[in-house]
Amino acid sequence: MIAVELRKLFRRPRTWVTIGMLNALPVLVAVLLAVTDLAPRPGEGPVFLSAVLTNGTLYPLAALAIVLPLFLPIAVSVVAGEAIAGEAQAGTLRYLLARPAGRTRLLVAKLVSVIAFVLVTVVVVAAVGYVVGQLLFDVQPIGGTTLSGTTITPEQIAWRTVLAIGYITVSMLGVAAFALFFSTLTDSPLAAALGALAVLIASSLLFTLDAASSFAPYLPTRYWLAFVDLFREPVLWRDIVRGIGLQAVYVVVLVSAAWANFTTKDITS
Amino acid sequence: MLLALPPLIGALPASDAGTSAADLRRAALDSTGVAFAGYAQAAGGLALPVGEQLTGVADLLSDRTTMRTWYRGVGDWRVDVVSPTGETGVHADASGTWTWDYVANAATRTADTALALPSAPDLLPSALGRRLLSEAGDAELSRFGADRVAGRDALGLRVVPAEESASVGRVDVWVDAASGLPLRVQVFGAAGGEPAVDTSFLELDLTTPPAEVVDFAVPAAAGIREGQAPQLLLAATRGTRDSTLVLPAALAGLDRRTIEGAPARVGVYGRGVTLLTVGALPGRASDGLRTALAGAPGAVVDDLGVRIAAGPLGLMLADGPDGAVLLTGTVTLDALAAAATELTGEAP
Repeated sequence: MIAVELRKLFRRPRTWVTIGMLNALPVLVAVLLAVTDLAPRPGEGPVFLSAVLTNGTLYPLAALAIVLPLFLPIAVSVVAGEAIAGEAQAGTLRYLLARPAGRTRLLVAKLVSVIAFVLVTVVVVAAVGYVVGQLLFDVQPIGGTTLSGTTITPEQIAWRTVLAIGYITVSMLGVAAFALFFSTLTDSPLAAALGALAVLIASSLLFTLDAASSFAPYLPTRYWLAFVDLFREPVLWRDIVRGIGLQAVYVVVLVSAAWANFTTKDITS
Repeated sequence: MLLALPPLIGALPASDAGTSAADLRRAALDSTGVAFAGYAQAAGGLALPVGEQLTGVADLLSDRTTMRTWYRGVGDWRVDVVSPTGETGVHADASGTWTWDYVANAATRTADTALALPSAPDLLPSALGRRLLSEAGDAELSRFGADRVAGRDALGLRVVPAEESASVGRVDVWVDAASGLPLRVQVFGAAGGEPAVDTSFLELDLTTPPAEVVDFAVPAAAGIREGQAPQLLLAATRGTRDSTLVLPAALAGLDRRTIEGAPARVGVYGRGVTLLTVGALPGRASDGLRTALAGAPGAVVDDLGVRIAAGPLGLMLADGPDGAVLLTGTVTLDALAAAATELTGEAP
């Protein structure tokens, strides 16, 4: 069933259009930077973007930082929100469940396909960023400079970029879990996706408020930017570990809630 | 259950010890040799009405600052201010500091001087705690309970300044029971309420960090700059050179003290956490400051000049016989007015 769901997801043109559109902005930004030679002032704009003019190997990270706040969560919410609600809206859910596979297996298959989508999307953004960075910007053979001012070799940049890709994927799983849970509550995929986005926007807003600092460590978006800490020397693991733990709690709680809801729900469409 | 875990862990009782206040202060002051690595956060509640030139200082005293630190000993440490998109690292060696700024892609060399603007390393609980305890008298000290800070048992030590003119109500320092290292410092104004400065270690490891983490080499592509501290000292010396301001031996009940290397025409009065600095200010520098001070909420403008209180920090621009006089320090507005009266001979 997992294979069926994966095939369905990646054979759908919509999936690739979504991933393609997600890459459009970083590519446009790269072209603009390369043509005008005008990088944002250091400390302004997405992280690492000011450094790419002198070191193109950092562009995968800059590309991820560009899509991380909004575009990536939107894409993940839309795909995860559609998982169950999309089938219900199309009237295919009861046929799916008519197979002897059972609701739990269907939910697991949907979950795996959503995780696969998140991973593929993040990797494609980084890969396109890599190609664009190599083509449009200078690439320093000796590597680059960490945020702490130490020298970093190209191998270290590559390794830490792989870790950053993994971390951003994990960060997106919380979004996916929210959308998947809402997807079991409603028959409208749009409502499920917007519900997950509403949670994220509320979380981002509360994070900026000092008055909300007592529960800020538990907000789903709190540690999203912690992948930057991989490029400090020594690596600052504190927020990365907390970010992974926090996403794990959200995923476990929300997927359990989705399972409890979906396995006991009356399927009418 | 998950939500209840952090408060439950926080409520774990800390074990107190019978250490006296004087002994605890001694232990804190002797902790300069304790090596550690840590992660700390400082929150300032002081809204300073300063212009463009001092935004760094104003941010330090009004914002939340997150720091990582590695300390091997005096003159051999590193403090990084960590922000979501950058980092500023101060690496100290025997003769001064290197400050690495990722955002500016520049390294700044600053020699040790007697006069320097406050920077993030000064806000580290260990440094701030030792500084605020350094001149506290035994009669000003008291013990209060214990708490867990950065997962360690910390003993409470309170300083209530004896001076009448003090604007600092109390300073609470939590000192590590095992090592004597100050782990948390809170500075309260005379009115109490929220702390004006609250700095605390969140993580602490008492093993000696490796030298290569603390050492600094300027990256190949980075710019090199000269630190501002010598210019600051020079400007303060030049700016006050022509002043005819006579600095008395005592002001507002606070005795004058000498600081080696500081400009002769800048007077520092008081002791401990009650300090007052007085100096003439050249016209071009005073005009902007006067406007900023007068526009600040709660500003008092009268014949003496303009004065404001930003938490326990008092700032006054007094009209002296031959130009403006800047008075600033941790004293009350009344003490500032009294000092200005004594300096200019004018009644408020």
